[in-house]
Amino acid sequence: MKHYDLAVIGAGQGGLPAAHMAARLGANVALIEMDEVGGT
Amino acid sequence: MHLVQHRAAEFGVRGVDPQAVRMNLGAAVARKDTIVSGIHQGIYQALEYNQAITFIHGHAEFTSPHDLRVDGRQLQVEKVILAIGARPAPVPIDGLEQAGYLTNKEALRLTEVPASMIVIGGGYVGVEFAQMYARFGTQVTLLGRAPRLMRKEEPELSELLAEILRAEGITVHTGAEVLRAGRAVEGRFVEARVGDERQRFEAEVLLLAAGRTARLDGLGLEQAGVEPAGGYIQADEQLRTTAPNIWSLGDANGGLMFTHRATYDGPIAALNAVKDLGRSVDYRVVPRAVFTEPTLASVGLTEAEARARGHEVKVGVARFAHSGRAKAIGQTEGMIKLVARAGSGELLGGHILGPHADILIHEVVVAMYDRGTSQSLARSIHIHPTLSEVVKAAAKALR
Repeated sequence: MKHYDLAVIGAGQGGLPAAHMAARLGANVALIEMDEVGGT
Repeated sequence: MHLVQHRAAEFGVRGVDPQAVRMNLGAAVARKDTIVSGIHQGIYQALEYNQAITFIHGHAEFTSPHDLRVDGRQLQVEKVILAIGARPAPVPIDGLEQAGYLTNKEALRLTEVPASMIVIGGGYVGVEFAQMYARFGTQVTLLGRAPRLMRKEEPELSELLAEILRAEGITVHTGAEVLRAGRAVEGRFVEARVGDERQRFEAEVLLLAAGRTARLDGLGLEQAGVEPAGGYIQADEQLRTTAPNIWSLGDANGGLMFTHRATYDGPIAALNAVKDLGRSVDYRVVPRAVFTEPTLASVGLTEAEARARGHEVKVGVARFAHSGRAKAIGQTEGMIKLVARAGSGELLGGHILGPHADILIHEVVVAMYDRGTSQSLARSIHIHPTLSEVVKAAAKALR
């Protein structure tokens, strides 16, 4: 089973900056999106 | 298109036959798609380049606070940030499903201009799409439930906006409660109570723009220990949910449902989730904009809200009709209203209906963020000839 420090659910305009900031802080991040990136 | 069709001659442009000007919606949508896909490519490239981020396409569901299932894959996670956004709110209108309707999403994918459209909702989406389609050539009827469009905005501005939309040929009904919808011989019908009268409207298409709500279903939130309340996720000032290892941001938390709020929340949720920094969100000053033309943009309290909170206030108004720059660009409709504390002059709110209001408002936003006063707006030198001079004029008019 894959292990991650942080999962961000949703790669819209809130999830993306959250994932990038978490990565910058050293976290191993899974970013999960069911539709299209960037949000609606 | 609007400018070319209606005002070419006024600006001295010859050779335009207003009757011949048509919208090629397919081409406009294709242009939009090219822009959006360029943005998506940039996002994917940045994700690919970032080795600390694994992008997974799929539907996530909690099986425990630390376990996620993504389309059959199992992931074990220490912490989670929910950035799940919102979708159009379901509306209990009898017959609406059978009638069939568009939401903002489908309305951006049409390739033919509908002959007529009924827009249900007088908020952001409703007002923007009503004007957009009216300018494309659609006969638009806008039905807003509240007594006025953009009901939380400064009344003078929202009424002026309604007047401008009506002058463009849009039929605007406020205080209209939609009771029933269905298929008509050609297209759809809607029955609504407008004032004391029951009225029937018919159009080729319906656009539902009656608010947005969090998308909470199918996530297994109960397995995660995340308790929603009133249809939204409960998050504290540090964006932490009722589950200690889960944070939530943006629209799904309710309140100020704007993209720029989600973008603001993102790094704060990450700092708290990853480094436990205990940062709180600061929503004192959150601007908002309706992308009509003229644009409506605002921040802070309306005059009535400020008075209701017990502030002794002064108000300053300036109109774009007096601005040389507004005359030069041919956009003289609209006004600016500033609200400030009577004694200190501390700015409490700014409300702009006019050309480039979405840009102009930021002068007020920055001033308010620093608890600035109207005096700094009134005394600082503003470039001539700019629309920003109207902001200064409103500050000088405060009394």
